[in-house]
Amino acid sequence: MDNIEPPLIKEEFGSLHPINQVKDHLLGMLADLGFQEVDGPEIESEEFNFDMLNIKKSHPARQMHDTFYVENKSHVLRTHTSPVQIRSMLKSNPPLAFTSAGKVYRKDDDATHLPMFHQVEGIYVDTDVTFANLKDLIHQILHNLFGKDVKIRFRPSYFPFTEPSAEVDILSDNGKWLEILGCGIVNPIVLNNCNIDTEKYSGLAFGLGIERIAMLKYGVNDIRDFYKSNLDFLSQFK
Amino acid sequence: MKVLYKDLIKFISETPSKEILSEKLFQLGHEHEVHGEIFDMELTPNRGDCLSLIGIARDLNVFFGKSNHLEIFEDDIKSLDLDFKNLSQDACPKISFLEVEIDGKISEYKPYLKNYFSVLANNKVNFFTDISNYLSYELGQPTHCFDKDSINNQLVFENKTCNQELETLLGSKINIKDQNCVFSINNKIISLAGVVGGMSTACSSKTTKVLVECAYFNPELIIGKSIKYNLISDAAHKFERGVDISSQEMVLRRFIRIVQDHANIKSIKIKTFTNSVSRKNSIPINVDKINKILGTTLNDDNYSEYLQKLGFSVTNAIEAPSYRHDIETQNDLAEEIARVIGYNNIPSQPIKFDNINKKNQDILTSLGIFMTQMGFTEVINYPFSSQKEKNCIVIDNPLDSNRQNFRTSLKESLIENLLYNERRQKDSIKLFEVSDIYSVENSSIRQVKKIGLIISGRLGNNYAEFSKKLDSKYLKNLLNEFNKNFNIEEISRDNLSTKKSDPIFYAEACVDDINSEFLKGEEINKPDINFIKYNPVSQYPSSTRDFSFAITNLSKVSEIINYFEQLSDETIKDTFIFDFYKNIKTNSIKIGYRLVFQSTTKTLSEKDIQKKVTEVLDPVLKMDGVSIPGM
Repeated sequence: MDNIEPPLIKEEFGSLHPINQVKDHLLGMLADLGFQEVDGPEIESEEFNFDMLNIKKSHPARQMHDTFYVENKSHVLRTHTSPVQIRSMLKSNPPLAFTSAGKVYRKDDDATHLPMFHQVEGIYVDTDVTFANLKDLIHQILHNLFGKDVKIRFRPSYFPFTEPSAEVDILSDNGKWLEILGCGIVNPIVLNNCNIDTEKYSGLAFGLGIERIAMLKYGVNDIRDFYKSNLDFLSQFK
Repeated sequence: MKVLYKDLIKFISETPSKEILSEKLFQLGHEHEVHGEIFDMELTPNRGDCLSLIGIARDLNVFFGKSNHLEIFEDDIKSLDLDFKNLSQDACPKISFLEVEIDGKISEYKPYLKNYFSVLANNKVNFFTDISNYLSYELGQPTHCFDKDSINNQLVFENKTCNQELETLLGSKINIKDQNCVFSINNKIISLAGVVGGMSTACSSKTTKVLVECAYFNPELIIGKSIKYNLISDAAHKFERGVDISSQEMVLRRFIRIVQDHANIKSIKIKTFTNSVSRKNSIPINVDKINKILGTTLNDDNYSEYLQKLGFSVTNAIEAPSYRHDIETQNDLAEEIARVIGYNNIPSQPIKFDNINKKNQDILTSLGIFMTQMGFTEVINYPFSSQKEKNCIVIDNPLDSNRQNFRTSLKESLIENLLYNERRQKDSIKLFEVSDIYSVENSSIRQVKKIGLIISGRLGNNYAEFSKKLDSKYLKNLLNEFNKNFNIEEISRDNLSTKKSDPIFYAEACVDDINSEFLKGEEINKPDINFIKYNPVSQYPSSTRDFSFAITNLSKVSEIINYFEQLSDETIKDTFIFDFYKNIKTNSIKIGYRLVFQSTTKTLSEKDIQKKVTEVLDPVLKMDGVSIPGM
């Protein structure tokens, strides 16, 4: 009888939220490249969320049906993490490389869109930053996430804060192109707004939707699953 | 916007396959899906000039050349004597009117017009309106057709403050309020300019004399109007993005040509009211700048060739075509050239990050990892709350009016999470959330990063902790390690929608108050991410069954433990030992196992479970000296 040991009790670990795991992974990867993480408020002024980013007053994104306004329209719930970069650029001089990550809000709620989701964005400003540099950086990010053999497609797009702008797709196993991120050369108007000499400096910027990456990497089909707080779901991501 | 492949290739000089056309459209930045013969285009908001067949073709001409397909009425046209007054010339710097009278029968629509309605599933309205709608598809310029006989007095255009009802030609009634661009007769609004016309002046199948209005409206004044009045308007979509101010006569001549294709024209008259010369934006030629933006090695010839292919004038400076409202800077030109080269054809060039300072990982990551080591699971919640706390931030335009407030604590969310999991048969719950919390203080917005923890149920799913409950002492011992300021609170279940009785304990603190030295001292290593393939969560309830094995043949103990550890079955979700007891007197061991059953495809019946129980227990009960008392 004395030889019989009680069964080992396995430690029951919890888990970090999968969205934060992916966020930390991306930030870690970008930190290794030389990007510094910066933080900022989720409740922003229209000036930092829109004006400084060359999003004009008439832009549809600024309307009440797309953006959450708070406190009698004195502020907005940030619609992207770009204003964090604006705040950081105003406090720094180039060369600079920042990442900002966190919750953003848009007035959507359906099977593929949520009113709150997460972004990781990056900006790099230095002398002679080119679209060719942007391509190399995006390749590095996507190779890290999806492997060296992943097929990548750049195509022109439109964002008020970058020019030229691009959206980047990867080729999925079923032969369809999947949109992964948006990026571009920082519009000189934005750099000027941040008191950066555009004769001397140029920049590149990119942004990824974390839920999108998490869904692809983990095979989650319904974006809403991330926010049900279901332990059967969350405990799988240990 | 849906376009027919056959219609599109009429405007280019070659006949590329759908696959090649699709590839080139993507290269140019025109995202789309191909469904049979239809290209379903999703155009970026800066390319209003591409919201038509001719617009998309203009871009494709870079690769395939231009065809001279478009037939227009080329004869002289008499001047129209129209009593029209433009009181807001800034809002509408150029407007043209065409009067067409027909007689006799209207013939069957020619294939190009017929396909627009049949293949693209557009609704026919009446002859003139049908041509107007087709023209918008073909040329991108919206036109509006008034029944000329209903324009019985001076027609006035004005951007003015309104408060009047308009019955639209769609049959709905809208209250036009505040500042709007409108057409009026005798101060009665007959059309919401650039958005929708009114019923009183609309064409019908009986109309033989039409007044076609073809205008350029300032996009800023049209933006938001269709949403404001809850209208779906293709015209507004185009005017909001800017139409080609110099194309009005060509558009109206094309209108006449289409009428000619189907009816006998009795008379035509035209009049243009122009109040300003179209703005032309010149950009200096600077090939070096383009190469610096793109990282390319273009020469002067490449530069000129690419821009000219896109319709730009290259002389002493670069001038964009009149339909391109999005070209103002060298960066805009760089994008144009990059589109022609193809983004994928621009070589990559590594960045040298030598000048950049690296920074270390922050305390939040360590805190999260420590919590998971303590068995807590992290949740993320929406910040929208039903509770209106003092100093909370109020959302002006919430999605759900019952959740109009920004939360000032993580408590409400975590209680909801706990109850949600209890309803899913979870009986040992430890959750945490880290989030910024906002409030209004002295008219400014205050931001604090907080951590909230909630616990309830069993201490753990193992024989040492199964009969113990998570309590305030557990939480206090845990939290004292890194912050003595946590306020631990027992949450009453009295007002909660729950039948459970286990006590709930909650604690919240500011992350800034956490002893970061403690976290640095711990063995808290960030694990590499493991991208597991997630298994969809079952929507069906789980069932538990407990079994107590009496073991007199002690050599079988490890065999039983190994058996259950290796047990793998798609309907057995979990197994664990909830009891382990050595009976010295009887020289036997008692092991209690809990089995949790759940199917991903159905609710398991008692019969299903019993069958599975027999299957699982049979090999164990066949062991010598192993029994389940009473079974």
